[in-house]
Amino acid sequence: MENINFIYPEIFIAISILGLLMVGVFKTNSFNLVTKLTSFMFLITIPIVFLNSTVSMKLFSNNYIVDELSSFLKILILGSSAFALFFTDQYIKKNKLDKFEYPVLITTAILGMFVMVSSNNLIGLYLGIELQSLSLYVLASLNRDSTKSTEAGVKYFVLGALSSGLLLYGCSLVYGFTGSTNYYVIAENFSADNIALLFGLVFILIGLAFKISAVPFHMWTPDVYEGAPTSVTAFFALAPKVAGFGAIIRILYIAFGNVFDEWQSILIFISVASMILGAVAAIGQTNIKRLMAYSSISHMGYGLAGLATGINEGVTASVIYIFLYVVMNIGSFACILIMKRKDIYLENIRDLSGLSKNHPLVAFCLTVMLFSLAGIPPLAGFFAKFYIFMAVVKADLIILAVIGLVTSVISAFYYLRIIKIMYFDPEQEKFDPISSKGVKISLALSTLLILFYFLNPSILNFFVNLASKSVQ
Amino acid sequence: MLAHSIIFYFFSFITIASSLMVIASKNTVHAVFFLILDFVSISSLFIMLGAEFLGMLTLIVYVGAVAVLFLFVVMMINVNFSELKSGFLEYIPFGLLIGLVILLELGMMIATWKYKPDFVVSNSIVNKTITNTESLGLVIYTDYIFFFQLSGFILLVAMIGAIVLTFRRKESLRRQDITTQVSRERTDSVELIEVKQSEGVKIND
Repeated sequence: MENINFIYPEIFIAISILGLLMVGVFKTNSFNLVTKLTSFMFLITIPIVFLNSTVSMKLFSNNYIVDELSSFLKILILGSSAFALFFTDQYIKKNKLDKFEYPVLITTAILGMFVMVSSNNLIGLYLGIELQSLSLYVLASLNRDSTKSTEAGVKYFVLGALSSGLLLYGCSLVYGFTGSTNYYVIAENFSADNIALLFGLVFILIGLAFKISAVPFHMWTPDVYEGAPTSVTAFFALAPKVAGFGAIIRILYIAFGNVFDEWQSILIFISVASMILGAVAAIGQTNIKRLMAYSSISHMGYGLAGLATGINEGVTASVIYIFLYVVMNIGSFACILIMKRKDIYLENIRDLSGLSKNHPLVAFCLTVMLFSLAGIPPLAGFFAKFYIFMAVVKADLIILAVIGLVTSVISAFYYLRIIKIMYFDPEQEKFDPISSKGVKISLALSTLLILFYFLNPSILNFFVNLASKSVQ
Repeated sequence: MLAHSIIFYFFSFITIASSLMVIASKNTVHAVFFLILDFVSISSLFIMLGAEFLGMLTLIVYVGAVAVLFLFVVMMINVNFSELKSGFLEYIPFGLLIGLVILLELGMMIATWKYKPDFVVSNSIVNKTITNTESLGLVIYTDYIFFFQLSGFILLVAMIGAIVLTFRRKESLRRQDITTQVSRERTDSVELIEVKQSEGVKIND
């Protein structure tokens, strides 16, 4: 009990969920109130997480770990979710999604993500994943009158259940042959000679790769991103990826740390396949949400490339990458939410045609985001890729670095195509004036961060270095 | 140990075969029968491991689940009840077959109960000195309290999700409001008016 203060964030979130539900049930049409309270709750939770961010603490008989890495990722999860609520308020109201359960489900998903990044036990990992996924399934099909949204929800649910099954099968194999679900005990008893254990490792990796939509377990991503309401898609692209990365780092570097040679080749394959597919399949897309889905697949590939190195620099580079990926996606989705004519939200890339004449500032911000996603210096996206390739080269995986460079050149094509459409194609009718403060502030903040990251990259790197040390 | 292996492989074979049949059989009612057989075999395997509590829990929980599943089958395959009843006779031989296998399994379990120590594997996972429920209770509220509470939250999310996705408030529907009903007084609804002679009553609108 004397260590209970280390899980104050989780306890606080859990109690807030119950409180928010009460508010929502007893007050009719309380979407606005509940959303405000939820955002306020996020703001309070960040300092609570920050309080314990410099210690490394093992709780519940080593089954739960609070350390620099988990605190960093938790703050990132909270921050990105707060933005995902903040800049989508108008979209939610316009599309009649303003049920008070919306922010509550986002909060439960966050609780699951917290457990994912902190759990040091297979049971905790599974429960965290399920809590997060169940909330996301419901969020995806929240717009139940739209066939696309319900289709997205059902597709996500069926494939998610399948991947959970594979993950559980892997967990049961690992548990059966090591005698424990605790990562430390697994690491002690894991011998690479045992084929069944390797099967278990592969199944667990499949389950986790599905959750961060890495190839070849990416099939659901474009459909779910396109079908789900844009506000939910924005949330999908941000926090769950961070949590998935946290879980992968912890299980690979703690539980399976001794058998690095066994999983390195798997991770390299997943990474290369994600980078290639993300770059090639996005070229033919006309829907900007589908394009963002393929873009997120390829970015997951770069992130995993850092983890495949097995060295400290690789983990650091991956965590930096995921941080900047989140910032870039906040900006990009803010731009997607601006695409609105006559009160109807648009999703086609063609609708951006001639944006530079009508809304020069928005066009500039989107250009910055796209250049950064493509990895063009001196924007932040370049540094993110640069650190990854440095680590990959340092670990003597030259081929991986070469493939990464080639695919980032290919993917630059479709990012540049959007920029060409915005600047050189005939102008169309103006978009509706931007009335949402959330969109303006998010777009401005992310653009500034991406533009001026190069002035002092060491601030972020310092925190990430601290964080990634805790898994070594 | 030979007897143990034979029984283990017997149950494992039935488990795998029946779960294959669940997805292979075209008739949904047959699939549900196979599902029941599957659960019974799984719980037998649990009992062979020395985990009686889990075995019984599997039976109890899934019997309820299977009942719900039957409802689903009836709802999904879009037949009226009279048709379903007319087809009922066709299922009897099949149901009997499944029932026979289950009976055989139960018979084997009971018949070999006397030799229980030979059939139950002894390993470090199951502590023989205390009962199943006790050993479960020892960890579930101590070491695993956090995860235990978390599974409660998963159930809460499932409930919220079910309500969000299916509940529709109809505006035209007149709902009962007990507070207004109870707090209603005689003076609210009845008005006594002194009627003057040969003038009649003017009703306010």
